[in-house]
Amino acid sequence: MDPTIIFQLIISGLLIGLIFSLIAVGLTLIWGVMDILNFAHGDFLMLAMFSSLLMFTGLGIDPLFSLPITVGLLFLVGLATFRLVIKPVLGYSGLTALVATFGLSVLIRNVILFFLGPNFRLINQSILAGKRISFMGLYLSLPELFSAIGCVLITYAVYLLISKSKFGRALRATALDKDTALLMGINTNRVFALTFGLGAACVGAAGGFLVNFYYVFPEVGMVFVIMSFVIVALGGFGNIGGAFLAGILVGLVENIGGFLIGPEFKYTLVFILYLIVISLRPKGLFGW
Amino acid sequence: MRKTIIVTLFLALLLGISSAVSAAQEVEIALLYPLSGPLTEAGKRMKAVYEVAAEVINGSYDIQGIPYAKTEGIPGLNGAKIKLEFYDTQGSPEVGKAETERILQKGTAKLIIGAYQSAVSKPTSFVAERHKFPYLCGVSSSAALTERGLKYFFRVAPTDFHDSRMFLNFLEDMRKKGKRVKRVAMAYEKTEFGVHAMKEVKKRIQEYGGTYKLVADVPYQFKSTDVHAEVLKIKAAKPDVIIHATLFSEMTLFAKTYEDLGVKVNANLSFCGGYQNPRFAEQLKDTVEGYMGSCTFAEDFILKKAHLKAINDMYKAKTGMNLDGISMEGFTTLFVAADAFSRAKATDSESVTKALRTTELEITTLPGKGVKFAENGQNIWISSTVSQIQNGEYKVVWPAEWATTEMVWPMRP
Repeated sequence: MDPTIIFQLIISGLLIGLIFSLIAVGLTLIWGVMDILNFAHGDFLMLAMFSSLLMFTGLGIDPLFSLPITVGLLFLVGLATFRLVIKPVLGYSGLTALVATFGLSVLIRNVILFFLGPNFRLINQSILAGKRISFMGLYLSLPELFSAIGCVLITYAVYLLISKSKFGRALRATALDKDTALLMGINTNRVFALTFGLGAACVGAAGGFLVNFYYVFPEVGMVFVIMSFVIVALGGFGNIGGAFLAGILVGLVENIGGFLIGPEFKYTLVFILYLIVISLRPKGLFGW
Repeated sequence: MRKTIIVTLFLALLLGISSAVSAAQEVEIALLYPLSGPLTEAGKRMKAVYEVAAEVINGSYDIQGIPYAKTEGIPGLNGAKIKLEFYDTQGSPEVGKAETERILQKGTAKLIIGAYQSAVSKPTSFVAERHKFPYLCGVSSSAALTERGLKYFFRVAPTDFHDSRMFLNFLEDMRKKGKRVKRVAMAYEKTEFGVHAMKEVKKRIQEYGGTYKLVADVPYQFKSTDVHAEVLKIKAAKPDVIIHATLFSEMTLFAKTYEDLGVKVNANLSFCGGYQNPRFAEQLKDTVEGYMGSCTFAEDFILKKAHLKAINDMYKAKTGMNLDGISMEGFTTLFVAADAFSRAKATDSESVTKALRTTELEITTLPGKGVKFAENGQNIWISSTVSQIQNGEYKVVWPAEWATTEMVWPMRP
């Protein structure tokens, strides 16, 4: 086989895998700290993409520059979700929160469908659109490369925030034992709210990157969110490094496996990998 | 008091009679389309075109070559108006089946039109067949749909058999002109639509002996997050021509990935689906310049059939977009229904089915003479053309009798 094809497959797998990673990091944060499976996570991604798209079409702001605004907006969406949807059901069965986020997901999608319509939209005139680097027969799409670098940086920043900062310590303490954390003077509700905001901001950043090369429509979140659930479980619930590496692994399996065995089986391969991993390590690759 | 009761009862009776009369003046048609889920956009476009068609049939429009436009309502049913009832399949065969059962249990519809995807048209038409209820298929392209021996199923659109034959005729024409077209790659979604289109292409290639070679057979999952593996598989096979059976979402991904990974071919041909959606050319601009595909209608057709401008304008006012082939097939389908009701002079299933079976509707909306169904229910008066995206617009480039513009070959320098 042509070695450039192999290298191209690895590069392509890494690039899409890093986007998966950032989406999954947001999900795993919420899951790890609050034990809540946020079904609206994919819809947060869609909101972020629409936010960048509307700023581009309405105000002429390139997605590259609107990224901080999108991240900020999604942080606020996360906070609002916690206050209005999650907080009222905290303390009840986990299923209640799950159903609540499912309801939120349906609501967000239909509101967007109602106001913005079902059409597929694409940003094809942004600064990065259509640009690529080519060397030795390999091609790197600039929007994807930029997004991948952004995803690495943001994931690392989140990792530092959680492992080094005071807030991170509070978050980890809350994740380990909410009641003890409360006794230690940690405002767990505040930690939960910020965690939800941070998780939404991560997926907001992923959406802000993705919009540079992926189409936007009200159902776009559903395309990615299933894969994110797999990545979170594969990497270990609540483990940011695990989600990051599992995302890359999924990207590589999808691309290399899809090429070698058949593109129609690329998602099957990911799920086979998932089944193997959870049968050997039920808490995921990096779970504990 | 008694007087009041009598008057009230009399008024209620009168109201009942008048509503019964108005009900008799309407013929309800149930339409199965994906109005939510990943194919909402396509479903809503179809909904809009049926609404335009109903407006033309129910009102009076002076449009040449379109029967039932001038008259108000359905002439054979004393001017009864068409009433459209939409049912949401969500793009799912299971939901489509349940909705078909609901239509039949409700019992108010006199005909079913559906269902966009071949994978949904297939089971829903089986349900209708079981109930001996007429089912008119507007746009699903899998030729297998009319190979099942159904008696109540009729399709207006061309099938992947027609399109694959046209593609190979087109390639043969190019080959005779000395163009390089031997190596063919095919990418298709792994659904009824894509898989059957692939089978038809394979059959046509075999019919030409060794003239053409299928160098890449690339199926993929509908709702893919990326298509790099698929595109690299195609690139590694070094094809001269790529054929797609792909819906809009993946078609945009393929087009962008071909560009990103530097894939160069002489022609990129598409079955109906994503390519035909006017947003494809509008949004992807230079990325899809030179792409080609089967086409039963594009704005370009108006150059040859000026009277279709009125219909295109009505649709554009509703959706902001030009009609494409799929929408025009839907438009024509409602006229086939109106014609069947009119000739049947009745709305019961057997009379409508009998009328559909004997349809010979000359209508100038699509290439070909109009609509006449073979015994298997397939329209045999339909034909298709090849269009190409040039400067962001769909131009008919083949065959010569329909072409309005010179073809750009190869598609990329």
